[in-house]
Amino acid sequence: MKFVITLKNLGPSKISSLFKLSIMRIERLIQIRDRNQETKISRNDGASRAGWVLSLLAGLLAFWHPTQDVHAHIVPPENLHPVAEIYRRAVFTLNLNPVQWDQIRSDVDAFGSYWKSVDSTQSEQFRRKAETILARASVDPEKQNDVEFLPRKDAALHVFRLLTRSVASLIQNQLIAAERNLGQHANALKHVNEAREIYAAFEDVVLATDPEAGARIGINWLKMIGAIGSPGLLGVGEIKADPERFARESRDILAYTRANFHEGVVPAGRKLAPWPVNSPSFNPNAKLPAKLPPGHNVNKQIPRPRQILNMTARGVDESETPLIAVGDMAFDSSFIYGEPMRSLGMSCNTCHNKSITNPNFVIPGLSVRPGGMDVSNGFFAPHANNGVFDPLDIPDLRGIRFTAPYGRNGRFASLREFTRNVIVNEFNGDEPDPTLLDGMIAYMNEFDFLPNPMLNRDGTLNERASNAALRGEKLFSRAFPRMNGMSCASCHIPSAQFLDHKRHNIGSVRGVSVDSIDQAMDTPTLLSAKFTPPYFHDGSLPTLRSVNEWFNTNYQLNLSASELDDLTAYVEVVGDGSDAYENSSLYLDAEMEEFSFFLSAYEFLDEKKKPELINVTFQTVALEIRNHKWELQDSSVMPVMDRLAELMDEAHQASLKGDQALVANKVREYRNLYESNVEILK
Amino acid sequence: MKQKLLLATLKTPPRRSKTWRSVRWLMKGMPVHVLAILLYCLGTQRLHSQESVNPSSSVKSYPEKVPFDINAEPLRIAFISYANPQQVVRDTETVVDYLRPFVGAPIQSTVTLDYGSSIESMRGGKTDLAFVDPLAFMMAHEQIGAEPLLLEIYSYGKAAYHSSIWVHKDSGIERLEDLKGKTIAFADQVDMSGHLLPREIFVQKGLLPGNRFDGEFFQQVYFAGGDEQAIRSVLNRFVTAAGVSQYALLLLRPEERDKVKVIATSIESPSHLLMARKGFDSEIKQRVKRALLALNPSTPNDKVVLSKLYGVQGFAETKLSDFAEVARVAARYGFVKDPQRFANREND
Repeated sequence: MKFVITLKNLGPSKISSLFKLSIMRIERLIQIRDRNQETKISRNDGASRAGWVLSLLAGLLAFWHPTQDVHAHIVPPENLHPVAEIYRRAVFTLNLNPVQWDQIRSDVDAFGSYWKSVDSTQSEQFRRKAETILARASVDPEKQNDVEFLPRKDAALHVFRLLTRSVASLIQNQLIAAERNLGQHANALKHVNEAREIYAAFEDVVLATDPEAGARIGINWLKMIGAIGSPGLLGVGEIKADPERFARESRDILAYTRANFHEGVVPAGRKLAPWPVNSPSFNPNAKLPAKLPPGHNVNKQIPRPRQILNMTARGVDESETPLIAVGDMAFDSSFIYGEPMRSLGMSCNTCHNKSITNPNFVIPGLSVRPGGMDVSNGFFAPHANNGVFDPLDIPDLRGIRFTAPYGRNGRFASLREFTRNVIVNEFNGDEPDPTLLDGMIAYMNEFDFLPNPMLNRDGTLNERASNAALRGEKLFSRAFPRMNGMSCASCHIPSAQFLDHKRHNIGSVRGVSVDSIDQAMDTPTLLSAKFTPPYFHDGSLPTLRSVNEWFNTNYQLNLSASELDDLTAYVEVVGDGSDAYENSSLYLDAEMEEFSFFLSAYEFLDEKKKPELINVTFQTVALEIRNHKWELQDSSVMPVMDRLAELMDEAHQASLKGDQALVANKVREYRNLYESNVEILK
Repeated sequence: MKQKLLLATLKTPPRRSKTWRSVRWLMKGMPVHVLAILLYCLGTQRLHSQESVNPSSSVKSYPEKVPFDINAEPLRIAFISYANPQQVVRDTETVVDYLRPFVGAPIQSTVTLDYGSSIESMRGGKTDLAFVDPLAFMMAHEQIGAEPLLLEIYSYGKAAYHSSIWVHKDSGIERLEDLKGKTIAFADQVDMSGHLLPREIFVQKGLLPGNRFDGEFFQQVYFAGGDEQAIRSVLNRFVTAAGVSQYALLLLRPEERDKVKVIATSIESPSHLLMARKGFDSEIKQRVKRALLALNPSTPNDKVVLSKLYGVQGFAETKLSDFAEVARVAARYGFVKDPQRFANREND
């Protein structure tokens, strides 16, 4: 069987699935291939399987295929080599307090596995050093240990230096291998590509802090690709390799990485990052770009959940509800927060997409599973870090006006207090303007539960529910001795939106100590719950059935399997709702209409003399348009989208200069342009 | 009753009605700047020589199914893998399952990692149909008599695409002439949309020679190793310009895309295509053709099949003369020997 690795034309529809490929996965895929009797893969040279795997990795950034899936503002993950991906994620995690050592261990293992596929001796040394550090970092300092405890900061620095040095070594290994393979185009190319992709571990920091050298190295890579030559196609277009030129470019890159990354020096007071401190052109005052670690996903769910705003459901004309418009805008705005939320373009809507839990949301180091995050961390708001890794399941905001108190542990009596804390302390924003908070509360108060045709007004099931659910309803109200004679319905009161507005310690939280009294959580509603897995405050239970099983086990309810089925059927009916998702993956027209709704508050904010909120509105609309314009089905309309965004920029600039007449003019221009094109902006 | 009313309101659009919009539009009329922008849109959009195809609006009908003959000569299709061969292997199963009832014979699929392998396999009589790009097809046509069967239809209903010259938005570069003495990155020397087509833009302007790859217009020409690497080199300001596919922009992250701009676009190339071996059974060929042409992206089942066929929106008929213009470009550099063969409509 013959293989050639050109890997041309990377298709965008394949990209998202491709990014996540690790060596192990690719090898697994090869095993599947080997079992496939009907389909064969052909290539033209005799490269080994390992070589093919590496070649495939090397080609991940290769070319392009002109097809495109258009979806609602879905940002694919950054296309990184596994080594660069591991390094960046590990460095992100090492900067957190506390460090998730389990995740670091997992990344170190993956790093070691990759290295083993290249050089088993060096990988073994790496493993031993890493294991020594991690063992010391993980021991309990309060106990007598065989190994000496290494404080978090010191351990993090040691792991960081080990990884940084190792990445630099891997770049060197690949470049040496490429030079050795010059003349065999496919092999040389795969090693250079791999070296270049591994270098991406450092590149964003180099470009930010040492742009002069970053550009020079960028050219080095281009020249190196050229020096490899080309095999041509069917005997046409062949170019011979140029070893001297290749060696020259390779030397420059190696000199830079050796000088800057073999020691892993971190300037005093700066976070862990591959600072090129020994480069003469290094700018020690440069800021690093805000980035989330590889493996994160802050995209919204597709299909989009259906949001029900009470006012819209009642047919209210939104153009006359400016306070709600302010709140809707603020809910979608990253500009009400501080850094890094602003730079990352994240907003309330990122986690609570259209008010509904975003099950995709995950940030390695801050989340333990998708759909949750530690919101008292040092990344988003260093001043409010509580030093504890306590990720919470993202709550659904449907019907939030009925669900006080707020916070998973019900620590805020009012939604206003809770919202202010989110802005200021969880996500590092300035103290919000009272009108902004009023708007957010007004907007959130419009969030309705999904209508449920199987529920009566008093929360009982009607005749549409299944027999199993009706049997489950009785179980739900059954008093259980181990629950002090209470039933499920005692807390989840059917006639009160399945709430009791109280906090209970049901034993789902691990306290500081056995006798500590710090474990109570707020009773969550069951309405619309079918669509918001996982469950419990920390998202530790994946299904509604698993929740019932948890209670059955922990409270010895003695429910049989069929009773658990019935109880689950009941809870699922209560948590159900009509038309939970929208039936299209194209939402641009609705988004554009919503941005106009944001802008409908302009006159109100102008009258209230709120220039800062007006500016936030302009900035938010401009950013949202730029984010969403790639969803256009007809690219010829792109200039209209660009102009709309520009008008918001111009309105913002005019507002900053205090030129109110010009601001009004730009807003008018925006509205006219939008209304004239409303039918084609989709 | 109240419940019914609430459910009814759910069926209405979440935002304002079209009537409301229309009223607003009529009240305000169309300002001059809107017309200007619309004209700008029209002006900046290339007038495409190839007709756009709307796959969902055309009437589609499936060909008749034929009884399966296990002893029949198998149909052998070569699929190209652009990135993940094993994914393509899995994808081919769906495609084969779709085609089998229309072909009535066993179907063997092969996944190749480059066009050269597909062409050599076809040359050796081991492949009947292969997915290739226009340059590979034209070379295969000249060397082994391969015939064009169907073009892929991409987003926006087009069976064609073009290349662009990209620069950084803040570069101050507005015209091709501004690139004199600057650096440019192409994707690969042997690449239609990543080199030959964008190079042709400069040739047409008289800025580069039209018969060889060297030329003194640029300070330096690089081959970046891919469309993404080339356009990223512009983004990161390693080079002044990149000449790559129009779709290279989508390889940048959304927040990066507004940092680059197009200053020129190339002629259009037919899209990637399915080609057939010379002398391949014409009846089977027609059956495959009709089955693929019938695929309609608005039908859920067909959408699944199309998603396994590189995510295209459908297929369009093609003929040799569709390649006339790109054959002329490829001939300048020796990839095509006889461009007239493509221009001559008698060969269609």
